[in-house]
Parts: sequence; C-alpha cells; structure tokens
Amino acid sequence: MFNKLADWLNDRTGYRAMMHEALEEPIPGGARWRYVFGSALSTTFMVQAVTGILLMTSYSPSSSTAWGSVFYISKEMTLGWFIRGIHHFGSQAMVVLLAMHLIQVLVAGAYRAPREVNWWFGMALLFLTLGFSLTGYLLPWDQKGYWATKVATNIASGTPVIGPYLSKVVVGGSDYGNQTLTRFYGLHVGALPALFVMCLAAHVALFRKHGLTPPADASKRTAGKFWPEQLFMDSVVSVAVFGILTFLVVSEHGANLDAPADPASANYPARPEWYFLSLFQLLKHFEGDRVILGTFVIPTALMVVMLLIPLFDKVLPRGLAYFLSCGFVFAVVGGAIYLTVEAVKADEKDTLFQAERVRADQARERALALAADPKYGIPPDGAMYVLLRDPFTHGQSVLSRKCLNCHYFDGKGQVSHDESGKETSTPQTASDLKGFGSRAWLRGLLENPRSDSHFGKVKACGGMARWKKNSKLTSKELDSVADFFEKFVIPTPPEMTPEEWEAQEGLAEHPGYVAFNKEGECTTCHSEWGSSNPEAPNLFGWGSKAWITRMIHKPEAADRYGYLDKKDQMPAFGSDQLSENDMDTLIRFLKGDYLVPAK
Amino acid sequence: MNRRDFYRFGTLALGGLVSLALAVPGVAYILDPILKKKGREGDYQELTSLSRLQVGVPEVFPIIEERQDAWVKYPPEPVGAVWLIRQPAGSTEEVLALSAECPHLGCAVNLSSDRKSFFCPCHTSSFKFNGNPINQIPPRAMDSLKVDVTKDSDPKVRVKFERFRPQIKEKKPLV
Ligand code: FES
Repeated sequence: MFNKLADWLNDRTGYRAMMHEALEEPIPGGARWRYVFGSALSTTFMVQAVTGILLMTSYSPSSSTAWGSVFYISKEMTLGWFIRGIHHFGSQAMVVLLAMHLIQVLVAGAYRAPREVNWWFGMALLFLTLGFSLTGYLLPWDQKGYWATKVATNIASGTPVIGPYLSKVVVGGSDYGNQTLTRFYGLHVGALPALFVMCLAAHVALFRKHGLTPPADASKRTAGKFWPEQLFMDSVVSVAVFGILTFLVVSEHGANLDAPADPASANYPARPEWYFLSLFQLLKHFEGDRVILGTFVIPTALMVVMLLIPLFDKVLPRGLAYFLSCGFVFAVVGGAIYLTVEAVKADEKDTLFQAERVRADQARERALALAADPKYGIPPDGAMYVLLRDPFTHGQSVLSRKCLNCHYFDGKGQVSHDESGKETSTPQTASDLKGFGSRAWLRGLLENPRSDSHFGKVKACGGMARWKKNSKLTSKELDSVADFFEKFVIPTPPEMTPEEWEAQEGLAEHPGYVAFNKEGECTTCHSEWGSSNPEAPNLFGWGSKAWITRMIHKPEAADRYGYLDKKDQMPAFGSDQLSENDMDTLIRFLKGDYLVPAK
Repeated sequence: MNRRDFYRFGTLALGGLVSLALAVPGVAYILDPILKKKGREGDYQELTSLSRLQVGVPEVFPIIEERQDAWVKYPPEPVGAVWLIRQPAGSTEEVLALSAECPHLGCAVNLSSDRKSFFCPCHTSSFKFNGNPINQIPPRAMDSLKVDVTKDSDPKVRVKFERFRPQIKEKKPLV
C-alpha cells in the first residue's frame, strides 16, 4: 500500500531521482569535519526561522507595545524565555559559524575560478546576516537596542551623498518611533528572510554545480558520499551547536531585556552587540571630521577587497594571490579581535561607564519588577511609563534635581564623587524631606524643631524653636497632636472646605486637637484653619497632596510662607518646571507610596 | 550493524534530537494559553444599595474591573454588565442577578421594546424576567450570578461576576 503510494508520487514528481541526486553527491577525498560549517549554518538558520516565527506570534511592533510583548514572552509565556533565548544566541552562532565557514573556504582556496560567483553569494549572505542582527537588536525597544541602533543609523546617515536620505527612509522620519519599529520589523521578518533564502538557494545550487573543491590529497584517498558519512558529521555538529545554544540560554536565563527605551534618558552607556564592538572601537581612533574614515571609508574598503579576492588570481601568480588573500582576511580578523579586546578593556577601566552600567542595570531590575507586579504592571499607553510613573525612580530623580540643592533627603543632598571616588554632598540650607508630610516627621519637629532634619538649618523658620522653649505640652500631649494630624489633617481630601473639615465627627474632642488649642500653645501662631495666619503657615490639610503641591507651586502665598522676607522664602516651582507627573511622583515618593524594592 | 548503517541511524537520531529539542518547547509555547494556570476568580463587587432597586423592575449595572490583557494592565473599566431584579418580599433570594451576556453567542441582552421581557438583538433570543427563555433560540436560561446582600442598615447588593460557555445547554464556567 505504502509502496504503491510512493510509486505514484514518484511517477508524478520524480522525487527519488531528486533525493538521490541530493544525497549521493560525491565527496572527493571523503567526508571531513572541516566541511560541516555550511550545514551547521543551514541548521542554525532553520532554528532561527522556527524560533523567529514563534516569536512573531507574540511580538507586537510599536513603540508602546514592543517592550511589553517581549517582557510577556520572556517572563510570562510557557518556555518563552527559552524560545527567545535560542533566537538571541542563535543569531550570535550564525555570526561565529559564518566566520569559520569563510575561513575554511578561504584556506581551501574554494573561492577560485570557477567558484567566484558563489563567493559573492556567500558575501551577500554574510551581509544579510549582519542585517538580521542589526534590525533584530532594536525590536525589543529596550534601552540597549534603542541607543545602539540610534548610533548605527546615525553612522549610516554619514554615508556620502545618500546617507541622510538612507537613514531617513530606514528610520521612517527623523525621529525614532513607531515607524522605525515597523520598518525594522518588516525588514527583519519579511525582506531579509526572503533575500536570505534566495541567496542561500543560489549558493547551494552553485555549490552543487561546481562540486566540492578537491583537497590536494584527494586522489590518494577513497571518495565518499554526502549520505550518510558527511551528513552524519554535519548532524553531530548541529547537535553540538544546539547543545551550546541550550547551555547558553539556560545558564544566562534566556536573553537579557533592558529597561524600556526612554528617549529622554541621559547617559545611557550604549554598546552594540559584541561582534560589532570592533567597528565601534574603530570610531574612537578617528577625531572630528575624520570619523568618516572609521564609519565609512575603512569598512567599505575592506568590503570591496573581500569581494575582489576571487579575482586576484587574474592579475597575480596563483601562489601570491592565495598568500595575499589569506593574509588579508587574517589581518582583518586579527584587527577585529584586537579592537574588540581594546573596547572591552577600555570599558573595564572606565569608572564612569561602569557607574552608568550599574545605573542602567538598576533601572532594568526596577522596570522588570514593576511590570511583573500585579498592582503596577505595564500601562496601556506604553512601557516607557513603567519607570516614568514610578515614584521610586522618577519621583526620586525629580527630588534630587529640583529639591536637594537646598533640602536634604535622609541626611544627604545632591551627591557627587570627586577624583578619588570620595562622596561629597551639597550643603544643607533647608529641612530634610525624608518622610515629610508624615506623622513621624511632624513628631520629630514637635520634639526638636532645631534639629537638622527640621528647621535647624533654616534661621528664618525659628518660630517653632521659640515655641518649644516655652512649651508646657507633655510628651504624651505631643504624641496626641501628631495622632490628630495623622487622623484628621494629613488625609484631608482636596474637595473638603475648612468648615466641613472642622465640623467632622470626633474632631473637636480629639485629645490632639485639645492639646493644639491648649493655652494657645499652637494657636498663637497657627490660629486659623480657614484663612492665612500673619506669622505662620496655614496648616489646613498639612501633609496632604494638595497642601504640598501648593507649597511647591506657591511658597510665597499668604497661606504658606508669605509672611517671611522674600529672601528667606523657598523659590517657587511652577507647573512650567514640574509637570503633573513630576509633582505626583515626587509627593508619592515622599510619602513612601510605591513598590518597595526587594532588599 | 556496519559503519554506513551506524551513520544512517546516527544521522536520523541526531536530526530527530535537534528537531524534538526545538519542537517540544515550540509546541508548549504555542499552547501557552491552555497550559497557563487559570485566571484568578472574580471577587464580589458592590453594584448598588438594595433600597434603590424596585421590586420586579430590572436594572442594568456595569461590572468595573481592572483588566489584564496579555502584558497591558488597564485601569478599572467596564468589562461586562449585570441585570439586577429585586424579588418580592418573602422570596428565597432578595435580588436576582443575571449576566447580560447572552447564553446563545454572547451578545449583550437588553430589554424588549415593551420593557416586559429581555431581548437579545443579535438572533432574537427572548427571556422572562426570571431568566427563563421564551423562544427556542437560546440554548438555556440567562446565566444567574451569585449575589450577596449585606446585613447593614442600608444593605448593599454585591455580585460575583463570572462568564459561562455559550451555545451549550448546561451552564458551565468559561475557563
Ligand atoms: S447572541 Fe443573543 S441571540 Fe444570539
């Protein structure tokens, strides 16, 4: 039955002859391990195609969704980390195997006539592979891919004449965004694979047409066949390659995902994938205008020579041409290795780079933790906002930039490091904001207004210290005042009026309120809840978001510190300086309203 | 087994190994929606206070939930709707809650134009106010949901929102 079916199929297709031709290909001199690279490359390409298609079923190419979908693949989907990991390391295996294949072909002299065209198809495959790397690097839309690709396209824009147009077309405009991603994605999953398959087909067909280049000693050894000897060796190597990939994926826990791309982030230490590091390092050797040598002239020249290698025989004696070709390629590879090592060493020595890398890693950990937390997650408007709306990340950075040149937070101002790595802080001229607006901060103020954490560094705010000197309130009464603020004052909702507030059930009887009013202890200065006081800020809603917002926007208002001399007032930060999100994350940071980092 | 046979079997075995090492994770990856543990069960959600419902008059309330769509977490927004019908005093349940999702194929069930029955505009399923079908189109009655009426002075109606499989005779939760 089966045989009949096979006969019928053979009759209609002639598949047996085709299989025979494919498998029975003679190998002069017998099967050898050094012939495995082409097959290993084909296998790896198949692995890339399979994992790539799997990833396509879950990836979403837009600047607001790319990072989230890659996060979902890596962290949430069944074995998603493995599939993405294999694809990630598989791309590197492609580059390594390509280099080995190229060197094997070169050393065997297999580029010579009549195989010139096949050398060129091989070169085309090499460039297509690098094209895959370059386009794929951007797709997660994380910091690493974003900045490295930005550098790469800016390099492309330096190409004489067509550069600016080229980069504008590739980027999809002059700004990086949705169009950049969809274009890179289209190249990566559509155009490049189609071209690659066409070139590969031509490459294999030409290889079959001309046959294997017979090694010098071929006549002394028995000829072999592709099936099964050579294919067996090829399979062993394919298993080895896949084994190495699996090992890398498991030991690295899949591919890395950096923090979401943030076009506004300063000082991201961008580095390309390791096999582009030599080109990256090359740029450092050219200053100013001459950078074009590193970005364009040298790489293009090397490329042209590579393409011309099969033609050397035409003008030079055979032996000399071979020597020059091998010498050239080894010099290029050696140079690349030298530059790569130089780049790695330079980064290791560069303390600034290291510090920035640490910061970038912290941002990555933070973004991953927030995205994975069911309470936070990734907002619909994009992964960029995971960190931008995080009080611990963004609020803290706003605090540091805007507030800490006068205030302190937890005993420190704006910290910088001098040459020797010693930490120095800006001098303190205002209160310590750690816990500002909380019961604890207030209780500390009532205990010792002159401590550095409160008004010790602010001469103009001596009122509280003067009160403290003569105050008769016991420690228990001070506790109750703090309790009263925690229960009634700090949680005041923004829509409540002072009259409604004072009419609340249980407010007037609260022991803290009683102590507040006792013999004018507090009310001598803070007499009014509903209007401004002549010598003290109005405390209605003190510590609430509304109170702090007004304090930051209008410290000179009559109900804040308008009673102080102009020179003693805090400078105002209007909404032109602090966006709504800045203010929100800043206040939430002060209040500790954020996902507390583990450890 | 001679050398060539060893190569033959070896090639097939090694090829099979790589294929499996890729195919098994690949299939698991594609089947992820089935392999994933079930989503968390919905909680009771307060919809209104009992005093605002009139006996025998159905009223519709949106179910507001935070929605997690793959990697995106949406802020609270309506994800479905529930019809509440207060039952006459002395009934076993004080309030009947019916999911507005049609048991036929999932369209939103509304009131008929005379406001005397439920009606689904998609394929004209009709139901009585107790949820039972009036015509032959729907496979079963409208899906009732668990209701909890709180015990305080102004009792609140709380409903546990669930989804059920369309098209079948029995009411089976959608998983
Ligand atoms: S979905 Fe309601 S009648 Fe078909």
